[in-house]
Amino acid sequence: MIDPSEHLVVDCDWHYADTFEQVAPYMPEPWKTKFQKSGWGGTGVKQNLSAFFPASTGNRFNYGKIEREFSEYPDGGDDKQDVVEGMDHLDIDVTLQISHLILAMGGISADDRRVESFVKGYIDYMLEEVLDPDEGIYGLAPMPYHDIDASIDVLDRIEDEEAFVGVVMVTAGASPPLGNRKYDPIYERCEEEGYPVVYHTGGSGLDDYVRAGYQDMIETHTLGFLESNMSQIVSVACQGVAEKFPDLEIVFMESGVTYIPGLVSRINEEYLKRSEEAPMLEKKPGDYITDFYFGTQPLEVSARPDLLELCFDMIGTDRMLYASDYPHWDFDSPSVITDLPMLSDEDRKNILGQNAVEVFDL
Amino acid sequence: MSADDRVEVGPASEFEDGDAAIVQVGRVDVGVIKADGEFYALRNECPHDGGPVCEGKVEPRLVGEWGGPGERVDQHYDDDQCIVSCPWHGWSFDVETGEHIGDDRYILPMYDVVVEDGLVYVNDE
Ligand code: FES
Repeated sequence: MIDPSEHLVVDCDWHYADTFEQVAPYMPEPWKTKFQKSGWGGTGVKQNLSAFFPASTGNRFNYGKIEREFSEYPDGGDDKQDVVEGMDHLDIDVTLQISHLILAMGGISADDRRVESFVKGYIDYMLEEVLDPDEGIYGLAPMPYHDIDASIDVLDRIEDEEAFVGVVMVTAGASPPLGNRKYDPIYERCEEEGYPVVYHTGGSGLDDYVRAGYQDMIETHTLGFLESNMSQIVSVACQGVAEKFPDLEIVFMESGVTYIPGLVSRINEEYLKRSEEAPMLEKKPGDYITDFYFGTQPLEVSARPDLLELCFDMIGTDRMLYASDYPHWDFDSPSVITDLPMLSDEDRKNILGQNAVEVFDL
Repeated sequence: MSADDRVEVGPASEFEDGDAAIVQVGRVDVGVIKADGEFYALRNECPHDGGPVCEGKVEPRLVGEWGGPGERVDQHYDDDQCIVSCPWHGWSFDVETGEHIGDDRYILPMYDVVVEDGLVYVNDE
């Protein structure tokens, strides 16, 4: 079994706990002033209960059951030092930072500029204060995909910034789903720039994704994350994004891996019966899906070992990327991968770091 | 080849494009299909679940062409490719090759067809 401290570990999903207070000074007007004058901070509104972006459901810390120094959302927000310490704590060499707050963007359906203004502020803030390729701290740029022009602006902004190595599309709430031609210009540009598209599930209004009324986080966390990734995978695969943009790297993050073989099996069955409804495809949709990359977290290690082995086999260990989701309450440390008995050391090293080096060109 | 090695299907003039006739060849059912003026013979047993595939619709294949980013995929029927779709669940096969249009690992066995003196025959081998 390998020791993560002796090998390259790339964490493809680190959640930077940004706050609106931190990002607001970098936001374009009028949102900067709107936010700063709102007094939301003074009313005790916390980042996980915000009037700016809709709120998440349930208490992530299980109403006090989970107490961990590194997994709190600090009221004041993270700063670069927190990232450095956390990386050291987990023996991680390289992280790809994902905005924590942007995961709630799916809850916004208004045709306003909140998401765009937040993203633009976030990018400047991260470049100025946090990202640092010399220390292995890289970023993924959120796409305000409701608005294609704004997304292209963001891609223009980061084009010469070494610190951004890909983009994030939040899967929760994207409507129409992300295989729609509407998003082609984003994909085209990402392919051109060599930016992988990381589809990341999201946690805003988890009780509202498909039907309202779930009561506890155990329900919504089981279903919501899977549901929002699955719905986008089906759209991206069937509408032929991978055929249209053959050099685009596609990564799905944060729903574990055990749902993938089931989805692949089902979509292939459907395709045999209705192939002509996906006329862009040159092969079965499941064959595209298993060419996508998948973040491993939260890995369902308590599933039957033979099931997990089958899943790894179907997806391919060359398609898996270690992700911690740190500092979230359900983060996976690298030992989740190093402890898996069915993997060879080569597989472990690839999942922990080498695959990501290739995908993100690190 | 002796006359016994083949099965008579019927007069070619009775087939319109898209018509199929089912005949027994040896111990199996074979569908003889006329498409785009040509005759094809395929085993009438769907690899999915045994459905009478050749009794299904015979029609041009719907294909997609993409004009570029942001364009709708233009979907149109390609008159050069003809498919037959199993009436049970819709698996579709290229009548020229017998291959499933979505997964070429599934193939309907093909048989030789000849037209002689206005009659259509399937070779039995
Ligand atoms: S039996 Fe032919 S499609 Fe199912």
